[in-house]
Amino acid sequence: MTLNERLQHLNLFINFTILVITGFALSFPTAFWASPITEVPAGMTLRGFLHRLSGVAIVFLGGYHLLYCAFTKRGRGIIRDMIPTWKDALDLWETLKNNLFINRPPKKIKMGRFNFREKFEYFGLIWGTLVMTITGFILWFEVEWLKYFPQWTYHLARTIHFYEAILATLTIIVWHFYSVIFNPDVYPMNWAWITGEMTEHEMELEHGLELERLKAESKTRLVEFGEAYAEGGGKVIPLHPEEEMKSTRSIRRLYSIVQSLNETIKSWRGA
Amino acid sequence: MRGKEGKYKPLILFLMILSFLVVWIISIDKGWAKNSFCFECHKDETLKKQDERGRTISLYVNETEFRNSAHGKLSCSDCHVPIKDDAHAEGGKKKADKKVNCGSCHKEAEKEYLQGLHSKMIMKGTERAAYCHECHGKHDIFPSKNPKSKTHKSNIDQTCNRCHSDIEFVREHALGSIIPGEEFKKSVHGKSGEVTCISCHGSHNLRSLVDPKSSIFRSNIPQTCGSCHPEITQQFVESIHGVLAARGRTDAPTCTTCHGIHGIKAKVDPDSPVHERRIALTTCPQCHAAERISKEYRITTTPVKSYYESFHGLSYRGGDTYSANCASCHGVHDIRPSSDPKSSVHPSNLQKTCGNCHPGASENFAKGKIHSVASVKAEDIGDRIVGWVKVIYIVLIVVVIGGMVFFNFTDWLRKTIERRPK
Repeated sequence: MTLNERLQHLNLFINFTILVITGFALSFPTAFWASPITEVPAGMTLRGFLHRLSGVAIVFLGGYHLLYCAFTKRGRGIIRDMIPTWKDALDLWETLKNNLFINRPPKKIKMGRFNFREKFEYFGLIWGTLVMTITGFILWFEVEWLKYFPQWTYHLARTIHFYEAILATLTIIVWHFYSVIFNPDVYPMNWAWITGEMTEHEMELEHGLELERLKAESKTRLVEFGEAYAEGGGKVIPLHPEEEMKSTRSIRRLYSIVQSLNETIKSWRGA
Repeated sequence: MRGKEGKYKPLILFLMILSFLVVWIISIDKGWAKNSFCFECHKDETLKKQDERGRTISLYVNETEFRNSAHGKLSCSDCHVPIKDDAHAEGGKKKADKKVNCGSCHKEAEKEYLQGLHSKMIMKGTERAAYCHECHGKHDIFPSKNPKSKTHKSNIDQTCNRCHSDIEFVREHALGSIIPGEEFKKSVHGKSGEVTCISCHGSHNLRSLVDPKSSIFRSNIPQTCGSCHPEITQQFVESIHGVLAARGRTDAPTCTTCHGIHGIKAKVDPDSPVHERRIALTTCPQCHAAERISKEYRITTTPVKSYYESFHGLSYRGGDTYSANCASCHGVHDIRPSSDPKSSVHPSNLQKTCGNCHPGASENFAKGKIHSVASVKAEDIGDRIVGWVKVIYIVLIVVVIGGMVFFNFTDWLRKTIERRPK
């Protein structure tokens, strides 16, 4: 993942979390976890403001992502690789058969750049964002909306907004968190959202086809550029080496600063 | 001669006035002579007697206090009548035991008192019921405008509370566990210093809660409060609550149902039941979410339920005071049924009512049922659609999320089993 994509993810991560908390604090105002919002003076007013702010941020993020996909080469590549194919359904089916021990021994499944889990989630996210944006704006501009539509449509928007929020939140917790955290292959965490890279082993398990393609590509490159990428070792070679290196370096630097600070604190024996 | 006669006229006048004065002074002096005769014995602080029940009663009278009191110029025998003809000092003491009759002078007050609850309780044989002296004092009576008086507005509280905030007394007379004094002290009325017990309860003629003539009888409460809050009472008696209360419906609220009784607080006080944070949580729902009342009056508990589930209600429950509560739309003292054209929730007034918070609310904005609950069985087509969407979404969530949980669990299980120690 490029820095740009990681920042998009970070943006989505932060705003989605804010939306979930500030949104469900309205639906469950007496819940214990809502008390930091409800017990603060004007907390509910602030909650509404923050919810709309984050909503707008995600709408802008969606717009940005659209432009990114349309006007960058890498973006177009993402869309091309994201299109669901019949193979994805087969992959899902075979994985299920593996999981239920119907395939014995389990079949090795080689998946492309985006596997069925990721495609499902990506299109789920797009669907969710669209639904939440439309219903959210109806709820926000209720005076304008109710000039032209009957009142029950407003209630419909409220109902959809609420249940879609539950669906989206549970999808993130059940589907996404399993993929990137609780999946025994990646546990404790898939670092890709921070470093932008994943290990060859992870790659082999989740994106076997893509790994083969990349290896073949890097072989041709190796011929062209001599030993330039030999030090890559087990790492997957990034698609855009120049900007990728810069960003990972700066993040590594930050990480090493934190680490050395940690060491200093650990070995602190007083002045 | 004539001239001489004229000359003595002023002198005669002077002598006449003088003789009147002398007679008056002598008469006073005579009284005092008598009183000082009484005080010869009654100045003794240890003077006591035993009554029929064997209780010890002090017979001491503070002379200076008595002289300064409103009755200071009266003779002892003016009130303690039997003493006159009795050989009181010589030992016939029992004759003086009779209660003093204040009514012989204070006829009007006596007449009122005899209609009041305290006198009735005495007639019923209650021992600790208020006679005149319980509230006014005995030898230390002052006009009630005098700050030293027990019936001065600054002391009334203490005077009544001597009995009515005494737990023993309250228990004995089955007044519940109400200690009105404590509550009243903290109330906005108590803090004002202007309102006292007698402002609402009356004084000599105060009556029981169940007496229809009482100022605190249910249907009379709006009038009682209206003596200070006339405009509010005017609004209230025309409201649906006021009309029903005037019909004698005991379920219909009066002032005290929402505001509290002795402990009435200002509406900005968070402890007040009519504080904006509590109106829609406890005050209106105490009746409108109550099964019995809502069934009897066919108002159903749906409005409260649907409010709690609406944006207004959810935000309100989270502490938002900008969000509408019951009173925002229905009004406060002038609540009327939606069928009343004067009601703020009458269909013809809804656009304006909604517009108070939603500037630019169109005519269409206010159309449709507000307190409706969406369900697949609802009468309204819109409610039915929303109800169906709800059902579809719930099924969708269960299937999709359930499927994900199932898939991920099998995935985890396989990967965990593959990693089992061999």
